[in-house]
Amino acid sequence: MAPSQLKRLLLIPLKYREVGVVTSIIVFAGIFYYLNEQFASPDTLASIATLAAELGIIAVGVSFLMIAGEFDLSVGAVFAASSMLAVWMLNNGYSFPEAVIAALGLGAAVGLANAAVTLIGRIPSFIATLGMMWMIRGVLLAITKGFPMRLEVEVPELSIFSAPIAGDLRVSAVWFLALAGVFHFILVSTAFGNWIQAVGGSPATARALGVNVNLVKTVGFVVSGMSAALAGLIAMSRFKVVEPVAGVGLELEAIASAVIGGCSLTGGVGTVAGAALAAFLVSEIRTGLILAGAPAYWYIGFMGFLLIVVGIINLRVGKVGVRYG
Amino acid sequence: MASRETPLLELRGITKRYGPVVALHKVDFSIGRGEVVGLVGDNGAGKSTLAKIIVGYHQPDEGEMYFEGRKVRFRSPADARKMGIEIVYQDMALVPYMSVYRNIFLRREITRGVGPFRVLDKERMRRVAVKLLEEIGIKRRDPDVEVGVLSGGERQSIAIARAVYFGAKLVILDEPTSALSVKETEKVLGYVSQLKEKGISIILISHNIYHVYSVADRIVVLDHGRKVLDVERNLVTPEDIIEVIAHRKSPEEVVRKLKA
Repeated sequence: MAPSQLKRLLLIPLKYREVGVVTSIIVFAGIFYYLNEQFASPDTLASIATLAAELGIIAVGVSFLMIAGEFDLSVGAVFAASSMLAVWMLNNGYSFPEAVIAALGLGAAVGLANAAVTLIGRIPSFIATLGMMWMIRGVLLAITKGFPMRLEVEVPELSIFSAPIAGDLRVSAVWFLALAGVFHFILVSTAFGNWIQAVGGSPATARALGVNVNLVKTVGFVVSGMSAALAGLIAMSRFKVVEPVAGVGLELEAIASAVIGGCSLTGGVGTVAGAALAAFLVSEIRTGLILAGAPAYWYIGFMGFLLIVVGIINLRVGKVGVRYG
Repeated sequence: MASRETPLLELRGITKRYGPVVALHKVDFSIGRGEVVGLVGDNGAGKSTLAKIIVGYHQPDEGEMYFEGRKVRFRSPADARKMGIEIVYQDMALVPYMSVYRNIFLRREITRGVGPFRVLDKERMRRVAVKLLEEIGIKRRDPDVEVGVLSGGERQSIAIARAVYFGAKLVILDEPTSALSVKETEKVLGYVSQLKEKGISIILISHNIYHVYSVADRIVVLDHGRKVLDVERNLVTPEDIIEVIAHRKSPEEVVRKLKA
């Protein structure tokens, strides 16, 4: 094999923007295994996937929207609001399907509102959804006066969100992996996915070629809002209680996951799978630190460090990959 | 040569205002089959506005459009594309982060399957992309390469080839040569002549009168939203056109010279 061919072969992985997150997952797995051999067990894998589910589901929605070129900072607030709405409805005698539909509907409605403010009001989605985040939080705090809301009835159907399957594996992990798979597939293998990438990469080009830019972005906002609502329902089904400040900071963790997974802040670049893997990485680090006996709080510092390192790697490696790709 | 009987596209009395600004004032414009029309004028003359109206990006406030003799109203670029009208913008013809084949098929994706479960037929799209790259003469025939790494001329050619592949009858080129090297400019202009031979009509918008002059059959000059000159290329010199654009010569003078 000629040296140039070998070089080419070695550089093939660099074409994929998930390379940073995959490398990190492997490196950290090695480190944690070295620190505690228990790390390399199917049980640990299952608990990582389960722990990753809530952030992961939101990261799926947020990355989908980010690739379409927009931010959603309201996901943490939607996470709390939708699950609180479901708890309130269940406590007040509404059926399980009604509560679930209402919660998901609330997520979709917030997504539509975000889309309307951003696209009709023509302001950056960063601002639009930041405002939405505080508005929702404010309403939740005002209604609850800061107290958590407890689920007072027995709702067996909640098991569809988070029942244990085997060991530490819960249904929520299945939801996460399924949604990541579905939205990744939509992004890379359907016409709509092609439009999402185009709308985020260059809205003017997409519009000139006949893509309905506002419609595509609106779908992205709705997906993001609904993903947050679903994650909220999953968390609620596990803890049976919702705090008005639940999910504070989740919006930034989701954006960080998207970036670590290879998404660009300016849109058009990245994949849903990358963001999902990044959520998995975050959860791997949390679990690994616990198994290594470190205080779990370290994980957020780690994540900050990782965000910066992988952010730099993605930027540099992305360029190299494109040049040789 | 262009047929004069029924123009491919005819615009009558097109007016477009942006608030108090009149971007176009009662502009008539037509182009025949296989005709190359150079659309020139200074910055703010209304060239791009006119082009965007033709492709349905903007809608005129007044006036009518006829395509192949039938009255048309384009509510979006998708409408115009369906009729066979395409525009290739200088810097936004393609999405830089997307691969060549995804760009070529954007909004015209080949899919297989039924109903909501249609998936992209990537292999077929890649095959067509490779064929187009061959036709254009791009050496790097990798349909998966990101468009951002290609040269300006290559991108321009891909965008034009895309339009032609999808059966465009009229292609509008917006400043196709402004960012290109001399060699690439020659290639693109050569490509324009090839298209003309295939019977495709072309509107060439450019600041470079010499580039326009070298390939156009007819030249239309806009000035502050009005059409001030519309002449066969053979009857004028590039300098005449430049003088009119620069207001050193009135359009009437040029026309009078023609009659003499």
